Amino acid sequence: MAHRHFFSLLLDTLLWSYTFLATHKIIYNKIIMSIRYPEFSWGQPLICLILGLITSALIYFFLPGLSIGRAIYFKTYARLNRPFFKRPYIYVAFLIFFITLISGLYVSQVSLREFFSHSGLMGAKRIFIALFTPNFGILEESLFAAIETIYMAFIATLFAIPIAFVLSFFAAKNLMMGSPLFKIIYTILRFILNLTRSIEPLIWAIIFSVWVGIGPFSGMLALCIHSIASLSKLYSEQIEAIDQGTMEAITSTGARPVQIVWFGVVPQIILPFVSFTIYRWDINVRMATIIGLVGGGGIGTLLMQYQGLAKWNEVGLLVLIIATIVWAMDTISTKIRQAIK
Amino acid sequence: MLAVKKLNKIYPNGTHALKNVSFDVKKGEFLIIIGLSGSGKSTLLRCINRLIDLTSGSIIFEGVEISKQEGAALRKTRSKIGMVFQNFNLIPRFSVLKNTLTGALTRTGTLASILGNFSKEDEKKARGFLKTVGLNGKERSRADNLSGGEQQRLGMARALMQDPILLLADEPVASLDPATSHTVMDYLKKINKELGVTIICNLHFLSLVREYGTKVLALKDGEIVYQGPPDGIDEKWFKTIYGEEAKEVGIN
Repeated sequence: MAHRHFFSLLLDTLLWSYTFLATHKIIYNKIIMSIRYPEFSWGQPLICLILGLITSALIYFFLPGLSIGRAIYFKTYARLNRPFFKRPYIYVAFLIFFITLISGLYVSQVSLREFFSHSGLMGAKRIFIALFTPNFGILEESLFAAIETIYMAFIATLFAIPIAFVLSFFAAKNLMMGSPLFKIIYTILRFILNLTRSIEPLIWAIIFSVWVGIGPFSGMLALCIHSIASLSKLYSEQIEAIDQGTMEAITSTGARPVQIVWFGVVPQIILPFVSFTIYRWDINVRMATIIGLVGGGGIGTLLMQYQGLAKWNEVGLLVLIIATIVWAMDTISTKIRQAIK
Repeated sequence: MLAVKKLNKIYPNGTHALKNVSFDVKKGEFLIIIGLSGSGKSTLLRCINRLIDLTSGSIIFEGVEISKQEGAALRKTRSKIGMVFQNFNLIPRFSVLKNTLTGALTRTGTLASILGNFSKEDEKKARGFLKTVGLNGKERSRADNLSGGEQQRLGMARALMQDPILLLADEPVASLDPATSHTVMDYLKKINKELGVTIICNLHFLSLVREYGTKVLALKDGEIVYQGPPDGIDEKWFKTIYGEEAKEVGIN
């Protein structure tokens, strides 16, 4: 019980501190006072934190109905039987949302004037005309780069399959709860996979371009690492969803552990695995293009070069080729996945 | 051949599924266990072949204490105890023959079984058992193309491949229609009589109990409330086992 009180107070404190800070720094300083570079010191967030703590403590003791933390951690205070708009904490949530909306619009520099300005529209017209009149002079060069991208994605997917296949069994909860050792392996592996997956392939490409040098190899490694993490997760979720009955039956025949997995688990997951893998290859081709932008090789690198030179007709051709590849991959992978269902 | 003594099972969530259960099974018996859903029938069967670990008590099978066995010794014990399930638990995408052969996994090497290299003897044997359960001619069909009754018979053939001396049947007819139920029970009886396999079977229907069982064990809330011949279960016992409100439903 005590920890619920703590977390509800903590949540309220953080929300109110954020509200005070956003109101003061953005809405008051920037929008109302129109100060371009308001003074900043670390004392300001600290004061907001203290104010937030005081506010949420007051709410905690005197107006518990306003507390979002209580609504989340104590269902009784949420007064869920009341109509939606008669719950007091809803209005606090609206206030925080509204402040975030105003601040967000200001920080993103949303400006309709810029969007519809004369010079802006002229620029748009220029680039669209160039994009729609692609320069077929660089067709040969672009196709070679495109082929590089497709192969890169293919190799990355291919290398990821066996590694992800093996890892997925150790990342499947239903197979790993047998002994304490397995539980530890499962927890550590899950942590590493989640961490790896949360780092975008783009960032992996930057890391590997320093490691093995700029080019398709670094892009391939980046895609491979990310694919291993993603496929392991998808595969292991599939393993967790299997019918345990078959496993039970195979166990009851006196089969060995490897045989239990091979006959009790693998036949049930093989088709979803193939389906996921093809989908992943499709994703990898698209990602390979983006990775090229940071020097991962292939058609993305070419795109970045021509964009840097502001050669929009060439860029137009590259966009056309990329769109064609993505469309083709998408169609093929959908067809295959439907066929094996 | 099987002696269960003071068997207790408490699940991690605190459910006391089996309370001091003790009984003996003699060779060649057709023991039927009855009781409401949740009375501990399935747990009891799964404790015997150790799919579930017991909390306390002892199980002596063929003179050997098996309740604490692990690894190779446990697998050896399991291989002598066949099991068929309410939901058949076959490998749906595998052929009938290959499903039967999975009953021989314990005597096939790990690598050989992964490559699908079962011995010629076992293959011959599998065909023989498919004939026993009336599935000859269907060896190449996929298991999920069979009807419910056929799937259960395939489950029996798989269990027979283990050369079991004891067969556990966990509500083998609960997902089948009445007519098919009788066919499946007849095959179980045939296995019991002709192959001499001792059978422990969980059932719902009392009419089937009287027709097929040689001995009955009734469970209520994890405790044995009746143990004896099937004829001994009269109206009074029936109400004790299934509650005052219960009415006997026939299956013909």
